[in-house]
Amino acid sequence: MALRASLEGAKMAVKEIDARGMQCPGPIVEVYKAMNASQPGDEVRVQVTDRGFIEDIKVWCRKTGNELVSLEEKDNLIRAVIRKKG
Amino acid sequence: MTDYDLIVVGGVAAGTKAAAKARRQKRGWKIAVITQESDVSYAGCGLPYYLGGVIPARGSLIVKTPEKLKTANDLDIMVRHRVLSIDRAAHTVLVKSLDSGEEFTMTYGKLFLATGAQPILPPIPGADNPCVRALRTVADADAILERVVRVKKGKAVVVGGGFIGIEVAENLSMRGWEVTIVEMLPQILPPFDAEVALYVQRNLEKKWINVLTDAKVTAIEGRGEGATVKTSRGDIEANLVLMSIGVKPSSELAKAAGLELGARGAIRVDRSGKTSDPDVYASGDCATTFGLLTKAEVWAPMGSTANKQARATALALTGAQGSFPGVLGTMAVRAFDVSAAKTGLCEREAREAGLDIVAVTVPADDRAHYFPGSLKIAIKLVAERKTGRLLGAQVYGLGVVDKPIDALVAGITMGATANDLANADFAYAPPFSTAINPVNLACNVLLNKMEGKMEGVDCIAARKMITGEGWDGLILDTREVPEFTIGSLPGAINIPNAEIPARLGEIERFRDKDVLTVCNFGRGAYEGYLRLKNLGFSRVKVLEGGTRFWPYELV
Repeated sequence: MALRASLEGAKMAVKEIDARGMQCPGPIVEVYKAMNASQPGDEVRVQVTDRGFIEDIKVWCRKTGNELVSLEEKDNLIRAVIRKKG
Repeated sequence: MTDYDLIVVGGVAAGTKAAAKARRQKRGWKIAVITQESDVSYAGCGLPYYLGGVIPARGSLIVKTPEKLKTANDLDIMVRHRVLSIDRAAHTVLVKSLDSGEEFTMTYGKLFLATGAQPILPPIPGADNPCVRALRTVADADAILERVVRVKKGKAVVVGGGFIGIEVAENLSMRGWEVTIVEMLPQILPPFDAEVALYVQRNLEKKWINVLTDAKVTAIEGRGEGATVKTSRGDIEANLVLMSIGVKPSSELAKAAGLELGARGAIRVDRSGKTSDPDVYASGDCATTFGLLTKAEVWAPMGSTANKQARATALALTGAQGSFPGVLGTMAVRAFDVSAAKTGLCEREAREAGLDIVAVTVPADDRAHYFPGSLKIAIKLVAERKTGRLLGAQVYGLGVVDKPIDALVAGITMGATANDLANADFAYAPPFSTAINPVNLACNVLLNKMEGKMEGVDCIAARKMITGEGWDGLILDTREVPEFTIGSLPGAINIPNAEIPARLGEIERFRDKDVLTVCNFGRGAYEGYLRLKNLGFSRVKVLEGGTRFWPYELV
């Protein structure tokens, strides 16, 4: 398990985006740019405060085929992890 | 027979307010409050939240018990007593004890009627089914709650999509009930413009509440714990049917005593609360008042109005200066995480009144967009075209709506124009507002529209336009690609604002056709509008409210 994770980890790049305080068009455009600069399988992790992002990222992932690995909201902070489709 | 200086009939909002105020004015007066209910001075508007358990303790709905009201204000409180008739010549009322059946008369110097309003129960076959309830009194709430707790996660049909209907729907839904709202009109929330009502409806539907508009209840069938509600749009099973199609003034007693009735059959009063008999006064849901904008007599049954009108009337009937000028018709409702508030006239009401108006819908942040917890609202303003005088406002969305509506209430009450409020010095710090307050912003956009700097269409008109026969125009989404991907109007093409000059060829053929510019909230669409106008496009319009307040399908 640990070996597999470290092997995958070696291949997979992770980009962090801090989009807190950004709004329209902010967060989703940042995710889009980061995904364009990523390889299939790479992850983008984003922190957002704009609540509209919750619905936006779900729809965007569904329409673009990228994987929404996780999406959580706590204390007005939204965190999402998106994996680029392979 | 006992002589009273003041007899108050009714003991909820207006009745107890007037009695308490009269006591403060007149220490020596003998004052009685007579009510047929067991409770007095309760929070009628809180009842839906009691059903949902938001207000867990029944006792907290009772502002004052009869005993407390009696001792605190030195009043004779007579619960479970009904006033059967008024003899105005003799200054007496005939009273019946509902417990002993005894009848007796009481003499008054001044009489104050606060008989309230009652739910309208439509004459539908089966309306006497035990599942069918209205919510007006604490006793009504007790009966509904007993059923709600006993049946558990049942099915409810709420007939009427007004405030009470929506509030009860929300609260039953939070108890795990499956709720269907059946509304006879084409929209819920009838006092609001259609797009505001549709926005709230979509949100109710997202919370799994079924909403049937244009649906008429024709019969209620079945017995016992279950009923079938027959409607023009199909049958619905229900363990509880809430009748909330509206209320009517309880003015029978006044009518039988020969007092003049006014708007909607309510007891006619002047601004001092005086009826057609100088010794008889009335306030609250049983009485008329005036529209501040129209100056016409209106009936506006609201808990807020009842308390204020009763206070002014108590001053007048005790010989002091007391005058209640009237109402704008301000209201607010919450449906889960969405709120909607209104004051004055909505666009439909203003047009029906034949007024020459400008209306605009402007989305805004309820506080600094970067501040955690910031949420969106939309402000719709209606103003007189010639003068810019504000005639009405609606504020709705996920964010704080009561603050902007109250700022607008204050402005409209004092006759403000959009220009007066465009630069009003509202409080600002990031946790509270935006640097240009939402009301400032909305007034600025309204002024732009009045001055012809911006042409816009609301979502309902826009949809009619783009789905209309022979539509050969352009829907231009001016946002960045990923925002367009998330969802735009059916048929829209995407050219971000900055790319318009380079990609002009793609839209050249729409130079003299209808063009609708679209973005999330309207700001980017306005930017696109200005660019296209500058390039010589002749028939450009902005989609007001943007995709975020578009209550139809996005693709």
